Amino acid sequence: MSLESKYNLKSPGVKRLMREAVELANPTEEYFATPLEDNLFEWHFTVRGPSATEFEGGYYHGRILLPSQYPMQPPNIILLTPNGRFEVNKKICLSISGHHPETWQPSWSIRTALLALIAFMPTPSAGTIGSLDYTPDERRILALKSKNWECTTCGKIAEKLENAGKIDAQPELTQEESTLIKQIALKAEEDANRKMVSSEPKIENVTSDEENTLRQRINPTVNTEPVINVETTVQRSNSDKLWTAAIWILITIIVLLIIRRIFLS
Amino acid sequence: MRMGDNNEGGLGTSKDEPQMNQDEMILAQQRQIEKEISDSIPLVGSLEPLESLNKEYLTDTVYLEKVKDLAKKYKFMRRTRPDGNCFFRAFSYANVEILTGKKEEFEEFYKLAENSKNALVELGFQQFTVEDFYDTYMEVLKRIKTAPTVEESKNELHTLFNEQGFSDYMVVYLRLLTSGQLQKEEDFYSCFIEGHRTVADFCHQEVEPMYKESDHIHIIAACAALNTGVRVVYMDRGTGKSCTEHDLPEGCTPTVHLLYRPGHYDILYP
Ligand SMILES: [Zn+2]
Repeated sequence: MSLESKYNLKSPGVKRLMREAVELANPTEEYFATPLEDNLFEWHFTVRGPSATEFEGGYYHGRILLPSQYPMQPPNIILLTPNGRFEVNKKICLSISGHHPETWQPSWSIRTALLALIAFMPTPSAGTIGSLDYTPDERRILALKSKNWECTTCGKIAEKLENAGKIDAQPELTQEESTLIKQIALKAEEDANRKMVSSEPKIENVTSDEENTLRQRINPTVNTEPVINVETTVQRSNSDKLWTAAIWILITIIVLLIIRRIFLS
Repeated sequence: MRMGDNNEGGLGTSKDEPQMNQDEMILAQQRQIEKEISDSIPLVGSLEPLESLNKEYLTDTVYLEKVKDLAKKYKFMRRTRPDGNCFFRAFSYANVEILTGKKEEFEEFYKLAENSKNALVELGFQQFTVEDFYDTYMEVLKRIKTAPTVEESKNELHTLFNEQGFSDYMVVYLRLLTSGQLQKEEDFYSCFIEGHRTVADFCHQEVEPMYKESDHIHIIAACAALNTGVRVVYMDRGTGKSCTEHDLPEGCTPTVHLLYRPGHYDILYP
């Protein structure tokens, strides 16, 4: 079915996503992202693990969920490939470090989000929601394994970037962008704050033929020095912590009861 | 799992985290409630007589006095949604509304807008996102400008500014223009910024993100960017029976008139 019949092409948000699809149509060595065939508001992406880190050689695949108010609201990223840095199947979103997700800027894009993700991977997890603290060795093993990982929708994911090759003469990342990317923090969504689920539009078929016609103007040589100000807020997964505490308390009580019974009998 | 499902009772009282989380939950809840109220108010309302303000202050003599004073100079007002974008939305709307009756001035403003994009790209904003906002901004201006009658221009303006997509794009582009202006005249504006932030930092944190409220500095820069002047009429609990007026930039002949009550801007009409 044609795009025109599925989306309101006059809507600025739809126009914007179509533009981004064209912008990102060709894979670079660092990343690739494309909307699902049947939903402009869900994309799948692959990023290459930053070199000189324990993610080097890894290929990480995931989903990007765009809220209906995109680009006024930030995209959500969900990693699918086990990586040892972020939990898989959990929404993480972008914000400037130390601020709320409201500081997302509409002039950022899906590309900004992907660059930020790549730059953010090697930073310490600092106990934020959705972060994992695997050892470098564990991450290296996962990076190696990721080459054979397959997405149920996209299939083998490593090939796309491997075949990207060097696309010549791409303009530099603007200075503004590289500064911003370093300031962006990723963290899991604080569920109660926003009703993301309800705001995701349910839209059917899209085909985007013109996607392949335009060449991407983006420089893949991202500045990945990991000098990111990592957020030190202690927003852990409350529910998980409470559940763990509850389970331990229960176990203790049971053990005490058993001991008491043994000694009393 | 939702945060609201957490059961605080008796658990984890030895740590201070749950306390903090509870505060956060309350804050989040408050934000949600505020958002729901705000969403029920039109982005830009219809013209109302100024006296409609009285309804808000039935027993509040300080404010009632001030409304009376305000009514000497202004007959009508137009409310905007209190979502943190109200200054940018109100200013953008009022500015274009005034132009609808004035062909030459509209044409002049249109040209100014047409030439505004490159400066932003030069400042380092991503070209394709700037283009995205710019294109919609120009499209909206064009649709209003080319409507066959003034009446239809005004209707188009009102319709487009109440369509979330278009309306927010107008806000974003004015935020970008304001940020561009601040960064262009960095030396001048840097002395108004408190703390150790650079003008660029200030722009990234307080100007470019949506829903961030506006201060004097935003207004002065926005006026400079659109080459217009604004009179802001302050109505608060302060002493005296009259409202204070501020022309921004100082000494200008203001075209747009805005009513400021703590945290919010609406449009005023003489
Ligand atoms: Zn996939």
